Amino acid sequence: MADLGNISLLLSLVLGIYSGTVSMLGVWQRSPQLLQSARNATYLTPVALGVATAGLIGAFVSNDFQVEYVAAHSNLAMDTQYIWVAFYAGNEGSLLFIAFALSIMSALFIFFSSRTIQASLPHINLVLMIVLMFFVAVMIFLANPFARLDTIPLDGQGINPLLRHPGMFIHPPMLMTGLITFTVPFAIAMGALLSGKTGDEWVDSGRTWGIIAWTILGAGTLLGMWWAYTILGWGGYWAWDPVENSSFMPWIVITAFIHSIMVQKRRGMFRMWNLALIIIAFGFAQFGMFINRGGPVPSVHSFGQSTLGWIFLLFMGVTMVSSFAVFFMRYNSLKSARPLESALSREAAFLVNNFLFLTIAFVTLWGVIYPLISDIFQGQIITVGAPFFNQVIGPLFLMVIFLMGIAPFIPWRHATWLNLRSALMMPVVSAIAVAVILVLSGITKPWAVIAFGLCALVVAGILREWVRGALSRHKRGENYPVAFARLIAGNRPRYGGYVAHLAIVLLALGIAGSSFYEVQKDIVLSPGASTDVGDYTIKYIGADALERADRTEAKAHVQVFRGDDFLGNYYPQRDFYPSFNMASTKAAIRSTPIEDLYIIPGEFLEDGRAVFRIHINPLVMWMWVAGPLLFLGVIVALWPQRAMTTTYANTPKDETEASSAIGTK
Amino acid sequence: MDTMPIERNNSTVKELLTITFIAVLFLIVTGCTSNSKSLSPDELETMAQGIDKGLMCPVCPSETIDQSQVQIAKQMQIIVREKLAEGSSRDTIFQFFTDRYGARILAEPPKSGFNLLVWVMPPMALLVGSGILIMIILAMRREHHGEAPKKLPAASADIEPYLSAVDQEIRRLTQWSTSNNAKDLPPPQSAKGNVE
Repeated sequence: MADLGNISLLLSLVLGIYSGTVSMLGVWQRSPQLLQSARNATYLTPVALGVATAGLIGAFVSNDFQVEYVAAHSNLAMDTQYIWVAFYAGNEGSLLFIAFALSIMSALFIFFSSRTIQASLPHINLVLMIVLMFFVAVMIFLANPFARLDTIPLDGQGINPLLRHPGMFIHPPMLMTGLITFTVPFAIAMGALLSGKTGDEWVDSGRTWGIIAWTILGAGTLLGMWWAYTILGWGGYWAWDPVENSSFMPWIVITAFIHSIMVQKRRGMFRMWNLALIIIAFGFAQFGMFINRGGPVPSVHSFGQSTLGWIFLLFMGVTMVSSFAVFFMRYNSLKSARPLESALSREAAFLVNNFLFLTIAFVTLWGVIYPLISDIFQGQIITVGAPFFNQVIGPLFLMVIFLMGIAPFIPWRHATWLNLRSALMMPVVSAIAVAVILVLSGITKPWAVIAFGLCALVVAGILREWVRGALSRHKRGENYPVAFARLIAGNRPRYGGYVAHLAIVLLALGIAGSSFYEVQKDIVLSPGASTDVGDYTIKYIGADALERADRTEAKAHVQVFRGDDFLGNYYPQRDFYPSFNMASTKAAIRSTPIEDLYIIPGEFLEDGRAVFRIHINPLVMWMWVAGPLLFLGVIVALWPQRAMTTTYANTPKDETEASSAIGTK
Repeated sequence: MDTMPIERNNSTVKELLTITFIAVLFLIVTGCTSNSKSLSPDELETMAQGIDKGLMCPVCPSETIDQSQVQIAKQMQIIVREKLAEGSSRDTIFQFFTDRYGARILAEPPKSGFNLLVWVMPPMALLVGSGILIMIILAMRREHHGEAPKKLPAASADIEPYLSAVDQEIRRLTQWSTSNNAKDLPPPQSAKGNVE
């Protein structure tokens, strides 16, 4: 098995080098045969890496502890289903996973590539293969997942208990896949630069793959938050840990990209800016992989730590320098098709959007690297933790939500105050009304009121446009559902974006609700005793302990009441792993649209008493609703539109008022 | 032995001003620092939780003592509650742990001395960035008013004549309006119909 894996790795290295070289040769020789051959080699890389993956999984299945990686991340007692998790639990395996994912994405991209970018496809292929070969080479020469031990241990060390959770089956692979998928839009952009096709040919593919990467990374992050919420046992979902930040930063930058690329798509503007943005996004994605792999900052997520970090930093440096070198070589061909006509226009609003997103990304980066700066310049080790980011990033996010509330309704090219006023009057009034109602009903924390008011602004604006659009179609004889469906179908990028905006609002609601109005109580209860939290009464009945091969499972039984109403039995659980001296908890969560009651078992004491931490987390459920909604928005936005030739929005008319209300037909 | 003197005297007026500046900018609501003797047990506990969230666990990477489940974190939580019950303020308690473990025990860098840098940079970035953004927008607009229309990409060649007609029309209108009042640009619909 291990030999097969090793051979496949070498084979994929050969294939990748061949593909990259031959595609350049094909361009030079103007030979379609060579280009086709390079393509085929690219198609074969996922096959080779797939065999390598199968080889490593096979080694896990057969408990081949001579393979160092298997011995370090598995043992005889491990349940079979965790092999999938153990596969990427460590550095070498996750590298293999990343390379495999990248090879699949590369093949998919090339297979589905549209006619418009065929001219730069060889260059794109080259960039993809260079990145892929970096990972394969690191595996072969520095971190081989198939490396053997001299002596075969009787049993492996087992998998980290924190990784034994359903969330772990999808969350880490999605994060890794998301980060590595940044390579595709980056390669598309670099291919455009290298081949000199620096017009708008790359825009549609770049946007599509930008959104794909954005979605995978976003979904992975959300799943991670869900995992933290249900297992890490501190009642939160986001800790601003360096590793969390390192997936957050590229995600924020690519969010900026998928917005500003619309300006190029519709208006042929921001050409230079979009290229720069995707390069920066890829840089952040690489920085993320560097932090994940033994970066210089401590983190709770350091599962795949190694000393390889510096290789990744080096690769990141080389990529950034060479990318921007190419960028400046093509500088002169990157002028916008047309200039900015007014500071009060959709184009300008997109610039502000990009500025805010980049500020968020770089401020986060600043917080991540400040401990190093402090260490170097004042010799003092310093922590930059959650309170810093909440104070600094929080207000920036509110600005983003504000912009999200008004920018979609600013017309392209040139807006007048008059049409702005007519579009924004209703949303602004609704936002103020919501804020007033909240204050009157006792929600008085200023930041919370601002946050909820801004959420109302966004929702009201979107609903206003949808209702008006559907109504005007209804007047022409369509019934309401059809009218609404056709409205959405008429401008999918726009309305898919709206759905995604609504999902972001749900996220914001959950974050604002739980950070401003969370209740927390730590309590020791003896069996039969009860405690009040908020308007709930929690009664501890007792606990069962179950000895397993590698862990002790202690399951508490609690009953929840509100007043005299019995709300149900709950079973928070705590598993203790003696070999790791680690515990993992499964919170009992009673989730309602208003608030979550969240019970985590702490210790179970000798005398039968148990330590509980009880939270009331308002509105958190909406954060998990946001995930599927976000996905829906992406599907709407990416659904192929008939006759989708690059049409510039040249209608000087206010499109929110006219064209989109009837659906652009 | 119970309370440490708070070293506030050395902070200069300038520092205080900067702190106020940041405070105003971000409306940082710092926890109540008043004497806690008059507080109810519930309020004390809420305060204690706030302090827990501001102290890092000394042995585990990047977790606060509120999050961490190791023994020393639990002990620190107990110390926090004892000190609050004795009447220590939030700042005194932070100082107590800083003296023992160094500044890295704090979840956020202190807003003084060299570490002010970490706090000042984000608002500075926002301000300087906004300035640059405004300059870019103005420059891009000037380009619009100064230069001849650019060639459009081939993709839209079929509507090219139409577009240049519209652009000329708009420019004529804009030039006319800048001499009067730019805000009152006549509704651009006058530049004829809809492309689609």
